[in-house]
Amino acid sequence: MSSELNVRSLAVPGFSADLQALWAVVRREWTIFVRYPSWIIALFIWPVIFPMGYILTARALSGVDGSGLTTFQNRTGLTEYVGYIAVGTMVWMWQNIVLWAVGYSLRNEQMRGTLESNWLSPTWRFAYLLGSSIPQMVSMLMLMLVSGLEYRFLFGVHFSGSLWLTLLVILAAIPSVYGLGFAFASVVITLKEANAFVFLVRGIVMIFCGITYPLAMLPNWMQSVSQWLPQTYVIHAMRTAALSAEGFSAIAFDLKMLALFGLFWLAVGYLLFNIMERRARQTGAIGQY
Amino acid sequence: MQTQSLSQPTFASHLNALSALIRKDWKQYWRYPLNAVSSIFQPLIWVAPIYFMGQAFSVNGKAIGFSQYSGTTDFMSFILLGTVLESFINAVFWGMGYALKNDMDSGVMESNWLTPIPRLLILIGHSVTNLVITAITSLGMLLFAGLIFGFNASGDVVKALLPIIPMMLGLYGFGFAFAAVVMLMREANTLVDVSSFLVQIFSGSNFPVNALPRFLLPVALALPLTYGLDAIRANLIGTKTILPLQLELILLVVFMFVMLWIGTATFRSLERRVRTLGTLGQH
Repeated sequence: MSSELNVRSLAVPGFSADLQALWAVVRREWTIFVRYPSWIIALFIWPVIFPMGYILTARALSGVDGSGLTTFQNRTGLTEYVGYIAVGTMVWMWQNIVLWAVGYSLRNEQMRGTLESNWLSPTWRFAYLLGSSIPQMVSMLMLMLVSGLEYRFLFGVHFSGSLWLTLLVILAAIPSVYGLGFAFASVVITLKEANAFVFLVRGIVMIFCGITYPLAMLPNWMQSVSQWLPQTYVIHAMRTAALSAEGFSAIAFDLKMLALFGLFWLAVGYLLFNIMERRARQTGAIGQY
Repeated sequence: MQTQSLSQPTFASHLNALSALIRKDWKQYWRYPLNAVSSIFQPLIWVAPIYFMGQAFSVNGKAIGFSQYSGTTDFMSFILLGTVLESFINAVFWGMGYALKNDMDSGVMESNWLTPIPRLLILIGHSVTNLVITAITSLGMLLFAGLIFGFNASGDVVKALLPIIPMMLGLYGFGFAFAAVVMLMREANTLVDVSSFLVQIFSGSNFPVNALPRFLLPVALALPLTYGLDAIRANLIGTKTILPLQLELILLVVFMFVMLWIGTATFRSLERRVRTLGTLGQH
């Protein structure tokens, strides 16, 4: 008689089980998202009020007689600032929301005390992160649509560019924006101080990527830094695609850079997640906050 | 049968509770030191884009267009002062509404509410640490901002403190009402972010309110904070005021009483409603 005991898990994970787990996370996140009706307020109000602060400051800097505006036009070569600021701030809002929503998704579970028990289930763990990004992506597309309409009808921004090219830029930007979110989520779950990291990353984007001013206004060393940030290319490409009729050739370089940055950040995001996952098992600290 | 509560709240016990709340928040805040450091640099990050944008509108660092509205070409001192005051305003928003949401999320709201402490005292306790921390971080921020962007305030500091007192007290009234809305809606982030951002825009923390389009100007003039910011700036950096300075001070005092009354009444009414609904422990 054999004394060996065959131990076999009751769970039989497979590709379809992973997909089911991913779908369950997507549904849960969507339910939480729509549960708080204030998201509707955020959807309609943020696209207006966030750029409004900068636009009104620019209006004050222009002066009663427009003398400041003349200086601005001579210095930057831009004829108007409203659309310029609106598009720049919209890209910043996108990255900011991704950092909070995707970057915080695991941290929130840690705070609620459900992360450890979820981690013990025989599921593909990356599904927790990926699953929280999908509803977020849908809500971001809604935000962009609402933003475009509000900029057109409330701020009077004239979108003389191409809708298809703008969509192409959004598509090209997704891997970089969300890859950064994945990397961020993994760092935050380990280091805990999420707010400080959001402030740091979004602050870098805010200062170096020219959300409200042309990069030429920055000192040379800051311009060099901005070239290493994907959001610089997203903002430039989005402004060109939406506000000018320059066509594909004007954004080709930005798209190429976004493809490279996208690959890089997705790889970094996945790698960091795996490191965090291994570390969590070794230290047993995943449930702590 | 006569029932008597075992607890015997006194003024001293209330002070004890207040001190416990303050110490708890203080300890929790410094437990995450990176967050503390970031609160010094965070306002600097917000004003950096305005600095570079302002340079594009200026000649030799002087914003001539801006001076036509504000009376000063030094737009950075104008904005930095607004940023500091805005941090205090946010401390009351975040300190009360957001702290309640934190209590709800961590499951201690209901048990705190059952203690024999005046509920407004709980709200005040949550804001005190925030105000102290804001004072510390604002000083740090001004120091760095002075080095990076330049900050010149040659006015009378004591005189500038005068409008701050009624402004902050009035803000507490607003904070009470706001905290009650957070309790009712059980959501704080959007409410806090949107409302503090709107108040920031319309009270003129980053630009003189007379630069607002005409149809938006009444919104700015209806906010007591507009007069507070205006009076403090006039005293410190010599900007033009919207109304005569004395009239602005009187308005601030009137607003203070009105806001405290409305805030307290709203809080009491909404808090009763939340208790009736039984949703205090939910989030």
